[in-house]
Amino acid sequence: MNADFGQLKALVLKEYKEAFRDKRALMVALMMAFMAPIMIVVMSKIMIEKMVDEPPVYIKFTGAEYAPKLMTHLSDNNILPFADIPESDRGIWDERNITLEIPSEFAQNMAEGKPIKIHLQADFTDKAVATPVRRINSAVRDFSLSIGYKRLQLRGIDVRLLNPVTLVEQDTAKPDATFIMISMLLGVYLMMAAFMSGLSVAIDSSAGERERNVLEMLLCQPVSTLKIVLAKLISAATISLIGVVLILVLTSVSVGFVDLTKVGATFSLGLSTVVTLLILLLPICLFASAAQLFLAFQSKSFKEAQSTVSIVIGIPAIIPFAMMMMDDRPQWLDWMPISGQSLIMEDIFKGVDVNWLAVLATSGVTLAITAALVLSLAKKLKSEKVVMALS
Amino acid sequence: MIEVNNLHKSFIDKKNKKNTVKALDGLSFTAKDGEITGILGPNGAGKTTCLRTLYGLLSADEGFATIDGIRVTEDPIAARANLGVFPDKFGLYERLTAYEQIDYFASLHGMTGQTKHQAIEQVIKDLELEELAHRKTVGFSQGQRMKVTLAQALVHQPKNFVLDEPTRGLDVMSTRVLRNHLAKFKAKGHCILFSSHVMQEVAALCDRVIIVANGKLAAQGTPQELCELAGETQLEEAFVKLIGSDEGVAA
Repeated sequence: MNADFGQLKALVLKEYKEAFRDKRALMVALMMAFMAPIMIVVMSKIMIEKMVDEPPVYIKFTGAEYAPKLMTHLSDNNILPFADIPESDRGIWDERNITLEIPSEFAQNMAEGKPIKIHLQADFTDKAVATPVRRINSAVRDFSLSIGYKRLQLRGIDVRLLNPVTLVEQDTAKPDATFIMISMLLGVYLMMAAFMSGLSVAIDSSAGERERNVLEMLLCQPVSTLKIVLAKLISAATISLIGVVLILVLTSVSVGFVDLTKVGATFSLGLSTVVTLLILLLPICLFASAAQLFLAFQSKSFKEAQSTVSIVIGIPAIIPFAMMMMDDRPQWLDWMPISGQSLIMEDIFKGVDVNWLAVLATSGVTLAITAALVLSLAKKLKSEKVVMALS
Repeated sequence: MIEVNNLHKSFIDKKNKKNTVKALDGLSFTAKDGEITGILGPNGAGKTTCLRTLYGLLSADEGFATIDGIRVTEDPIAARANLGVFPDKFGLYERLTAYEQIDYFASLHGMTGQTKHQAIEQVIKDLELEELAHRKTVGFSQGQRMKVTLAQALVHQPKNFVLDEPTRGLDVMSTRVLRNHLAKFKAKGHCILFSSHVMQEVAALCDRVIIVANGKLAAQGTPQELCELAGETQLEEAFVKLIGSDEGVAA
């Protein structure tokens, strides 16, 4: 028993040495981890900006001097004259070319209570123009209505008479619903990282070793193939886990730089969330590495291994999105690797209590599949076919 | 002791049955302890296939191979534990140093602690690898690579050695070092089986020579006996004659 352990230790130690000394492959593998927080921060910034601020709209006024009060009202709504435009945005707004023409008799007509016509000119088919136009439209209507209401009130008429029917809109989207999108993306990203980080190590230690002719020597040693496979799995899964941990740590740090309260998001990566995610993702790391080793050992060359194994990376990206599309998803999806984890992660990010039974179930199924892959790979390594591929 | 008994092995091409290769066709021989046994044979005679069957990498269609009485197919791990292998194709872990590689293989053979350390130091000294020991093996010359691989095979002092063309690419000095090494192990009663294409080497080193042709035993005996059998004075001439003649010279 002790000798068995000594062998496994030597095998694992050697795999670690090789993996960690291949600096370039390691950097590429962990690139994902470094990119994640940047992506999260940039995306949340963009989303927050979209949701909270009304970005300034620049339009070309003619006759602005005739209606100073209207101008103030518009600028209160962040609709600004072209003169104020920062140099960087000039090109865009010049192209959109929204013009508002105010007639010279504006003040006079206003005083006399005559209808006034303001002309808005723009290319209405242009999508980029639609939002500014809508905002100008409602700003002008607001302005017009407020004056109209005042006039009626002066004449002693209840302004409510003007609105016999009111449409009350209730947005059922929770304040942080948009943010769930981001956190779901983080979930997909975490699983992709589990698949990608260990990828190069898995290929290198299987197809790579065969191509470098070191596998035959190893297979001639008094070591069971199961131990060989286990050692390679442990090494690849460790790198993959490092990738996942890095993403979690870096993201939880960088999320601090974004003010999420603006969108009412309750998203936080506290210690307990991180630990839960790690428990959830550890089986995925093992599963991913086992699947990659399995495919890489099957393929005929290093090149072939690279292309087949790369396809596997697509799985964690596609499955969660496919599940989002599904209206009635079958029950068994809750148990399967990747789909099960992605459902639980969704709950975690939503702030719903984690269903530990589901965690246990999906982890169990994932580990069982991993074990099956390892055992069948160990068996395959004993067969002649793998040896035949040597020469 | 290594024993090969009536080995048959065919490589079947599933798509084209005509391409089926009969690599071994009833090969039998014995390599005794305390002797150096050489396998000679033209390219494609089945030498490497035979040796791979011996490591347990291939399984024979018929017949069996034993190492110290253990059938390779039945308990490959126990059989390999008594075996030091220098394979046909070998590579090095280029990100490890020579010392780490040898250490790795020593550990795989269950060596630990001080015993292991001493064994590694000894084999490094024996094969004159001291200067290379703590360098990463990337960039090693062919001969240096061979030496490291040899060190891996010898470090655990196995009872049986199987070496597939161990002297290709070695310079004269290293070849001599290897020969001396093998002679020392022979004196200690180890069993050494090696294949080669260098006749002088075989003639100088081997106690017994096995000549394989077309997957069969063509002849066996001491170099002297083989020469007499073929009626030649040089082993090379005898070899050419023996593999060329189909009529059973087989002893």
